[in-house]
Amino acid sequence: MLISAAILFLQTGCWSKDEIEDLSIYIGMALDIGEQSKVEKELEKQGAGYARKKTMTFTIQIINELKGGKGEKTPAAEQKAYINVSETGDSIFEMIREFSTRMERPVIGHHLKVIVVNEKLARRKRMDQLLDFFLRDNDIRPSAVVFISKSKASHTLETQSSTVVPAFRLLGITDNQYRSLKIMSPVTLAKLEGKMHAGMSYVLQNVVSAKGEVAFSGAAVIKGSSQKLIGFLNEKELVGLMLLSGQGKGGQIKAYHEERGEVISYEIKKLESKINAIVKNGKVTFEVEIETTGRVMEEWTPSELEINEAFTKQTEAAVKEEIEKLVLSTLAKLQDKYKTDVAGFGQRLRIQHPKVWEPMKKDWDEEFSQIPVTIHIKSKITEYGATSRR
Amino acid sequence: MYGSLSSNLQKVRAITARHSDVNIREFSIAGSSVGAAIIYADGLADKDMIDQHILKVLMNDVGEETITCSILTNKVLTVSQITITHEIEEIIRKVLTGQTALLVDGMSEMLIIGTMLSKSRSIEEPISEALVRGPRTGFNETLSDNTALLRRHGENASLSMIAMKVGKRASKDLIIAYMEDIADSDIVEEVKRRVSKIDIDNLPESGYVEQLIEDNFLSPFPQVQSTERPDRVIAALMEGRVAILLDGTPFALIVPVTFSMLLQSPEDYYERWMSGSLLRVLRFAAALISLLTPSLYISFISFHPGLIPTKLAVSIMATRVGVPFSSLVEALIMEIAIEILREAGLRLPKPIGPAMGIVGGLIIGEAAVQAGIVSPILVIVVAVTAISSFTIPQYSVGIALRMLRFIAMFCAAAFGLYGVILFFLMLCVHVVKLKSFGVPYASPAVPYRLNDWKDFILRMPLTMMKRRPKMLKTKDKVRKG
Repeated sequence: MLISAAILFLQTGCWSKDEIEDLSIYIGMALDIGEQSKVEKELEKQGAGYARKKTMTFTIQIINELKGGKGEKTPAAEQKAYINVSETGDSIFEMIREFSTRMERPVIGHHLKVIVVNEKLARRKRMDQLLDFFLRDNDIRPSAVVFISKSKASHTLETQSSTVVPAFRLLGITDNQYRSLKIMSPVTLAKLEGKMHAGMSYVLQNVVSAKGEVAFSGAAVIKGSSQKLIGFLNEKELVGLMLLSGQGKGGQIKAYHEERGEVISYEIKKLESKINAIVKNGKVTFEVEIETTGRVMEEWTPSELEINEAFTKQTEAAVKEEIEKLVLSTLAKLQDKYKTDVAGFGQRLRIQHPKVWEPMKKDWDEEFSQIPVTIHIKSKITEYGATSRR
Repeated sequence: MYGSLSSNLQKVRAITARHSDVNIREFSIAGSSVGAAIIYADGLADKDMIDQHILKVLMNDVGEETITCSILTNKVLTVSQITITHEIEEIIRKVLTGQTALLVDGMSEMLIIGTMLSKSRSIEEPISEALVRGPRTGFNETLSDNTALLRRHGENASLSMIAMKVGKRASKDLIIAYMEDIADSDIVEEVKRRVSKIDIDNLPESGYVEQLIEDNFLSPFPQVQSTERPDRVIAALMEGRVAILLDGTPFALIVPVTFSMLLQSPEDYYERWMSGSLLRVLRFAAALISLLTPSLYISFISFHPGLIPTKLAVSIMATRVGVPFSSLVEALIMEIAIEILREAGLRLPKPIGPAMGIVGGLIIGEAAVQAGIVSPILVIVVAVTAISSFTIPQYSVGIALRMLRFIAMFCAAAFGLYGVILFFLMLCVHVVKLKSFGVPYASPAVPYRLNDWKDFILRMPLTMMKRRPKMLKTKDKVRKG
């Protein structure tokens, strides 16, 4: 028995053993429409290549481990902290395995953090097909965040700096959500999977890039029924959506003083938004209550105005008006232009009136665009900051 | 046996020809001028006592009366311990333990006078179990001193000490101590039975006793606790345990033992309960760290790079680039090196030992990293492991965990995290199965006794620990109140 136990032990060998330094970890991935890189073209000229349609170009970002540590082998200063490699083809899995023929260390996906999909590709291909591989692969974490890029997606994974890792930069920006309403809560693969299966519409953060710099700019709207990108919300409309859905964690609202037109900057400290579905005589209406509390951080009004009840009321009204403008413009775009519900109205109806929801859910986006929505906004100013002036 | 001195002495001389340290001193008793002789062993017997209480009284103070055995014992010899014998062999045996034999011409009885000179080390602070707070006394090598230390703890008539003899050739005294009205008599009887079964010709140290009475000699865990501290023994006796003291060693044995006891220090009780509990939790954590860290390192590096946080994974990768060995070999090199260092530091004379540790630890570690043989992360892992293993108060448990650590490393190298968990489960199974003198080793966790948990991972306030441990089945269950 002992011998058989020992044999059992030895037979297994060291399965799935792979030392960490013999692997490449890819942390970012960009999907573009097919366009071969110079290296690829060169390789193909030499005879490398296989049967595939060149529909997608797929770029992965690999950590340059020589740059990461403070080891003795000091790397050249110009060396980047990452390596980007591209492959063109029509199957993501095939392309990933293709890297094994090009690199000494196989790539592993455990640490994949961001997936950037190019706008044009997202307009042509269904999202659920594009992301199918990522959801299937058991190495890739469902915590990877998905972005859309109006620029070439692989450009968002580039930088001029030798210390910045672009994939970490994208991920890091999503953490700043508490400082700006222009940043959505990150949409991970896990969240996306549910939405895709339910056929719901959703928005994905849009990233633009120029000369190795990136900026979050608005959001892309994906239609639930087609799973394709149908349009964008600009930055203002995204702020409106954040306020409408209550997703925002805090940020700044710029309002203008009613009479003088001077700038008042209001920082939202607490944002609450409640969508109420009301069914009357078989008619569905929505009521949204948005409540913000915050403080005035900057204002350009002349100092002879005193802080008093009236001034606070005025300011609150100005802020409220600004919020209302933002929310209504977003709502208009969603209902009239895109005819999609990405703010979670459907969810509320499903929870509050499941029987009404049931027949409507099939064609919800269309139905939603016809439903009247009323907005109630309360904005409160709790303080004027640390200044003693006025 | 007749009272002729010269014939008796002849017999004695015939035997003691092999014993160069046995001296015979002939003299005549003062008043009656009867011939007499004392036999004693040089160095073992107290010469002052022989001079003052035997020779002086016999050669100076005795009157004219005829010397008889009863007169000698009752009127002349001012010594507390006197036994009478008729056997020459017995005289020799006793003389060799340090007693003095008195032979008087014409007297058939021979007297054996207790003149043992005990040369014992003074009572010092125990080296292997140093405490910040607690008595600075430790056992020494003399059995009577050790029993006295236990007695001196407090007036307590229930403290029983049963003397036994062990060792066939070099017979030694062994004492089984327990509290008559607390300890479970089954356990006491079991200890007595096991000790009486010891059948070996020599017992140099209580470690021999430990190995001969333990339940399972294949287990890596010690099933008997050894201690140099009288306060620890007293505390164990008061809980209902049994102590075994052997002559010639400062290490007393305590049975039965549970695993949690081996991670406890008397200080846990001397400090207030919060700090005591904190230290205890810390020690449990340190035991786990010293057991598993290198194997976790191996499994993460070699099998599960996805489980390391991304940024850490990147920096580990960077440090491991250029390391020529697999993580197992790398870890083995460093672990074995540190074990060698530890052993070397132990053997060296005291002033050199620590210097050696520094030289070894710092310089070899640094040089190994510089040379690219091992990665810096591993040096951290090994250092943390080594330091954690020093927090374990019982040296023997530390060794056990060190051994098991290597097994865990091989399991990790073969199966990754799965192997480590498998190893840990098997270890748990073993510990749960193990018993020490009928008491489950893993109690009070398994079998589960909530009341005993008050003194397990946490040390609850003394006001709450009202009862003695249930697992020991004590006669008197109440400790307080």
